[in-house]
Amino acid sequence: MTDTLEELMLNPVIRALFWGLVMVTAVMTVTAWTTWFERKFAGRMQSRMGPTLVGPAGLLQPLADAAKLLQKEDLIPDSADRFLFNLAPILTVGFALGVAAVVPFTPDILAADLDVGVLWLLALSGLMVFPTWLGSWASNNKYSLISAMRAVAQGISYEVPMVLAIMVPVIMTGTLSLSDIVADQVKNGWLIYRMPFTGFFAFLVFFLAGLAEANRIPFDIPEAESELVAGPTTEYTGMKFGLFYMAEYIHTLLSSAICAAVFFGGWDGPFAPGLHWMLAKSVLLFVFLTWVRWSFLRFRSDQLMDICWKYAVPATLALIPITALYTVWHGGAR
Amino acid sequence: MSESENNTRELAFRRLLRAQFGVEGEPEAPLPDDGPLVAREHHKALAKALQAAGWRLYVTCAATHFPAVPGKKPTDATTPECFEVATVLRSVGPGTHVARWRVKLAADETIDSLVRVFVGADWQEREQFDLVGVIFAGHPDLRRLMMPEDWVGHPLRRDYAIDTPHAPWR
Amino acid sequence: MTPVALARAPWPDPYLNVDDYDPEADLMVINLGPQHPSTHGVFRVVLYLDGEIIIKAIPHPGYLHRGVEKLCEKLTYAQITPIVDKNDYVAPMLNEQAVNMAFEKMLGVEVPLRARYMRTILAEIQRVASHLLWLGTFAMDLGGALGGGTSVFMYCFRERESILNLFEDLTGCRFHYNTHTVGGQRHDIPAGWAAKVHQTLEAISQRIPEYETMLEHPIFVRRTKGVGVIDADLALELGLTGPLLRASGVDHDLRRDAPYHIYDQLKDLAVAVESEGDCMARYKVRVKELRESIRIARMLIDNVPEGPISGGRPIKQPGQFKAKGGQVYVGIETPRGELGTYLIAGGGKMGDTPYRLKIRPPSLHALACVPYVFPGHSLSDAVAILGSLDPIMGEVDR
Repeated sequence: MTDTLEELMLNPVIRALFWGLVMVTAVMTVTAWTTWFERKFAGRMQSRMGPTLVGPAGLLQPLADAAKLLQKEDLIPDSADRFLFNLAPILTVGFALGVAAVVPFTPDILAADLDVGVLWLLALSGLMVFPTWLGSWASNNKYSLISAMRAVAQGISYEVPMVLAIMVPVIMTGTLSLSDIVADQVKNGWLIYRMPFTGFFAFLVFFLAGLAEANRIPFDIPEAESELVAGPTTEYTGMKFGLFYMAEYIHTLLSSAICAAVFFGGWDGPFAPGLHWMLAKSVLLFVFLTWVRWSFLRFRSDQLMDICWKYAVPATLALIPITALYTVWHGGAR
Repeated sequence: MSESENNTRELAFRRLLRAQFGVEGEPEAPLPDDGPLVAREHHKALAKALQAAGWRLYVTCAATHFPAVPGKKPTDATTPECFEVATVLRSVGPGTHVARWRVKLAADETIDSLVRVFVGADWQEREQFDLVGVIFAGHPDLRRLMMPEDWVGHPLRRDYAIDTPHAPWR
Repeated sequence: MTPVALARAPWPDPYLNVDDYDPEADLMVINLGPQHPSTHGVFRVVLYLDGEIIIKAIPHPGYLHRGVEKLCEKLTYAQITPIVDKNDYVAPMLNEQAVNMAFEKMLGVEVPLRARYMRTILAEIQRVASHLLWLGTFAMDLGGALGGGTSVFMYCFRERESILNLFEDLTGCRFHYNTHTVGGQRHDIPAGWAAKVHQTLEAISQRIPEYETMLEHPIFVRRTKGVGVIDADLALELGLTGPLLRASGVDHDLRRDAPYHIYDQLKDLAVAVESEGDCMARYKVRVKELRESIRIARMLIDNVPEGPISGGRPIKQPGQFKAKGGQVYVGIETPRGELGTYLIAGGGKMGDTPYRLKIRPPSLHALACVPYVFPGHSLSDAVAILGSLDPIMGEVDR
């Protein structure tokens, strides 16, 4: 029996399906309780309680939220394009979860160890713009349309510094596979402090771009509820809105996880198993993201573009040659 | 300092009214407590003159409706329906002085709009038009401000009953 | 004072058709409100957008019109106070004072010194509460309901809550106090209230620097500096008053310039003036006023003289006050500017109710600047500007 199971797991299709299932379930569950955590965190920051009523310390609040969202009437505006309107929330969660496939939690817990994991990651986060645009366009609402224009401008612009920033670790480690990048850090030290310190600046830019891609404050310009009501999700109700909401959280969680893996040595750490270290680093980064979110105000869209094109892109453009020259000088990667 | 400033302004206001705008009395004699009555053709010119003389802050205007009052005996003449528009301006800074005057209008008369003198008069005059029904001649955008666009009547007229029905609201 | 020449700035003319600006432009018409998160109530602006830049803005107030002025014509002078509480629902104390001062002037009722002290203190504490609420909602307009803006909002509401507790101790109500009457106050200062005032205001004044650090970072500066500039000429012509006028560089404060209550005894009343006229200047003026109001209230609360709190006889019947007829105008400085009351009293048989009561709301003029200030700004700026104007729709529409 055990032999058959092990043989089954050797089959790449079965293996991918198994880990895919585990990963999706885990990420979805964690996401649900992330909302609880964020509400609690924000509540404490603002000298209030946060959720307290559902379950002990409000721990069952995500379940109550899900039940509430499922009960809501599913409204589709008359003038909306029904097919695209329904497609958008599915796509947005799909793309967000797709990123989870290549996140290396430990050498073993990894849904797909792609040789070009970095490319897969960049491609999928680039695609995240599509469902937002699709949903906004299909809902036929002016507020949604404006927010979609902003989302596309922001998403595409920040794709550039993101790609450039992640090139720094790639040059330093000489691989496009995320698990190999982590393995290299285990051997040679974390990229965040490795000479010539370009990794640190690359991390800053990558983190910034991640914030912008996930539409979190101070870069939540597409959603901007004080200006655009609810941005792309203005016309969505019930679980369709819930999916957009979930995608945002998945995206944020996974960008923290990727930052932890690429810059902070992933599963590397003493005393405890690798998974614990990886999760701890991701959670710390996520807490930092939440902290930023509940402390800052929002930029204006043109100021956001300024930051991208006038600061982030030139900075990363300077980082790449520095890193490359240093790496070549010291005999190439590894 | 501010008291004397206020006094100077009050005297200047009195002199201006008496010299150019046909208010009766000695040039510096006190004005009536209710505010001086100014002829309606002087209204806009007075506002312009006051603005040039330093009353630069537009404060408010209040239109009032006086319905026709029948005489006490059937033989007495009826007091005709009329309107009164009061305008208030201010000078700014220490010793600020309030300049206010009234204009009496017969039921079918209009009053000049002050929008081209003080842009702040725009909404105040629209509101008075909406609620009292005084027509401000020369107002570039005289629409209802408070009531729905298809409302019939002007609610702040004294003869407008407080429970007047209006479909579909009531 | 020499006459000032009026330099008409090139303001956008709100009466022009959109086609006159640029007939070729492909404009998007968007309806901001009446149901919108940042219109502070039910205010509607029709925006003509070229991309995200506003070309023309047409405001439509009136969704909250309740006919307060008509109601006042049916009520006796003593009955009007609780009605006007609901006008500027963020600073009800000042509403009560405005109408009651007009009635007192009309009816010739003298207000005793203790009541005047109390009115001044209440007005200043109410100003603190109102500015705190403004600060919170302004941060929310800039930072969204799901971000740092809400944090500031929650802090400000925590402080405002403590002020409402003070008012509850005094009047029994947290919001619509009905504590002023013609000729004085209804409720005397309870025992130990002064100490509570000191405690509350001290706590607030210690926390103001916290909000400043939380707000005055580069993002806030970039969102507010140079945004929504109203120059002094336009501000005066529009009839902007209060913090908006002072932020535009006009040194004008009715508390100092036309003193009422006991403001004439406060020789060191500091008037906050900024010259830029943008959202940042309005923020600075309001924060300075916050500090000044706390200082005044704390200074006066220890010196309240003993004596009666009402100059009128105790109210037994509604028609106690009889006016002889006439017209008065009284303006006082509320947190939003000059709140005026134009009262036309009937005489004789009609002496116990106002013949016509016109309330001059400062917020109405503040909102009237929308067509002049919005064009040329982006949609995000429009929300920031609207927030910085601090409009209260209950007062605008009455």
